[in-house]
Amino acid sequence: MSGIRQNPGLYKIVVTHYVAAAFCFLVLSVMMLFSVKAFAGHYFHPQILAITHMAALGWGTMIILGASYQLIPVVLETDLYSEKLAWITFALFLPGLVALVYSFWVFVPGIHMQCGAILLLLAVVLFTLNVYLTAKKKKQETIQEDFIFSACICLCLTVALGAALVFNFTISIFPQDQLHFLKLHAHMGLIGWFLLMLIGVSSKLVPMFLVSSYQSTKLLTYSYYLIVGALLSFLVDSYFFGLSLRTYLIFTIGATGITCYFIFILKCLRSRLRKHIDLPMMNSFLSFILLKIATLTVPFIIYFHLKNNPVTIRFSMIYGEFMLMGWITALILGQTFKTLPFIVWVKHYEHLTGKFKTPMPADLFADNLLKAQTISYLIFCLTFMPGCYLLFLPLIYIGIAALMVTAMLYLSNIFIVLFHKTITYGKL
Amino acid sequence: MANFDITDPLSFLKEQMMETLRLVIDPELHINIIDLGLVYGIEIDAPKKLVNVEMTLSSSYCPMGESIISAVKNCIEGHFEGYDATVDLVWEPVWSYDSIKDEGKRLLGL
Repeated sequence: MSGIRQNPGLYKIVVTHYVAAAFCFLVLSVMMLFSVKAFAGHYFHPQILAITHMAALGWGTMIILGASYQLIPVVLETDLYSEKLAWITFALFLPGLVALVYSFWVFVPGIHMQCGAILLLLAVVLFTLNVYLTAKKKKQETIQEDFIFSACICLCLTVALGAALVFNFTISIFPQDQLHFLKLHAHMGLIGWFLLMLIGVSSKLVPMFLVSSYQSTKLLTYSYYLIVGALLSFLVDSYFFGLSLRTYLIFTIGATGITCYFIFILKCLRSRLRKHIDLPMMNSFLSFILLKIATLTVPFIIYFHLKNNPVTIRFSMIYGEFMLMGWITALILGQTFKTLPFIVWVKHYEHLTGKFKTPMPADLFADNLLKAQTISYLIFCLTFMPGCYLLFLPLIYIGIAALMVTAMLYLSNIFIVLFHKTITYGKL
Repeated sequence: MANFDITDPLSFLKEQMMETLRLVIDPELHINIIDLGLVYGIEIDAPKKLVNVEMTLSSSYCPMGESIISAVKNCIEGHFEGYDATVDLVWEPVWSYDSIKDEGKRLLGL
């Protein structure tokens, strides 16, 4: 017998993560509202640090952890190793997140911040262990497995370096200044964790959802080695020598890797059997455009940095915003309504299918709310990002207001899916 | 691909069951499993009132696999009183896009 068994335990874990992430998204938008002026300054600012960690951990990582428990078994074609380990991970991750974000916000680098960092480190190590033991059950190796496991390793390294940086506030651990390590920490997280993980999972799910006939994984293999090669080169080179002309070369290697992934997605899109592309998938494609824009800002960061021009800080902010609030957010906003309705649908209708006419998974969320959410998110992208670049506060305010609307619509739609009542339309 | 032998006294019942399985819809594609070419054959043990459906899924760890299998059983047992249904999942021949019937292709807009 094959297929993923949806047991009540797994359902609770996944749903808890989705709900926690949706609340974090709303809190994140409120935090942004109280930090508008900070967006016009340097990224090493208490409120920006708090917002970045809320976005990266509370929003992006939280939902990826939850979705992973459902999707990694699909991608790796085996059952999850341990649900208990998943709950322990969550129990460590949530208080760790709250402690870290609050300590950054009020900027008290003491015991709370350190405890938060340690809890988060323990949580991600346990998550990685769970993924490793899940993958170990499977004999055949796939490129998706390489992406996912490398991403987990990068997550652990990112959080470990982050924890060391937290301790460095009070105990001198590193000889260089914090900013030197901040870019290593940020890139290990953005490229090592998010990019590798999202490519690994989406390279299996996008062809599945589009019912694509393109099966080759050659492009994904190129993508994996180019991105991992570029990341490792960047970490070593910039640790010892800082940014230099070599960074352009490293960027080109990494960008080629991302391009291979885009070509893979394009080939899946062209060979798809399902011609109609629904709104959740449209959101996902918007995220790929935002990732491309984020990538295009990198040469400007390097160029202005090498010229000692402070504009590099503004481009770094834009880059971070396009990665976290653009690419990752758009992907989550779309893919939530591909994955969550399925998870809930299976719980309500698996035993009824074939006997009664039932709603389909896509009928479980409010389509109008999703449309409104997509529009408000587009307004956010079109106002907030240019506002931060032009340092024009009214545009930043409009953008954040649109993001708050997006977060409220997203949360409401999540609850509509979760509180769905089983209905049938008569016997078949 | 199911074949029907006209000399088989159960072929009409098999055909009826195949047609009934058109009620089982793939939740993602919104197309029935017969037109998707997922059902390979039906075996009926008339005296024992047992039906065995040989079928596949579009991928070995299709997230909706359990639901589709459950729907097939429910569908047969609900429409043919007294019959118990089992599903044999097979991976040979491997399902491919060529397995989709003309009607399935039409519904997919191909």
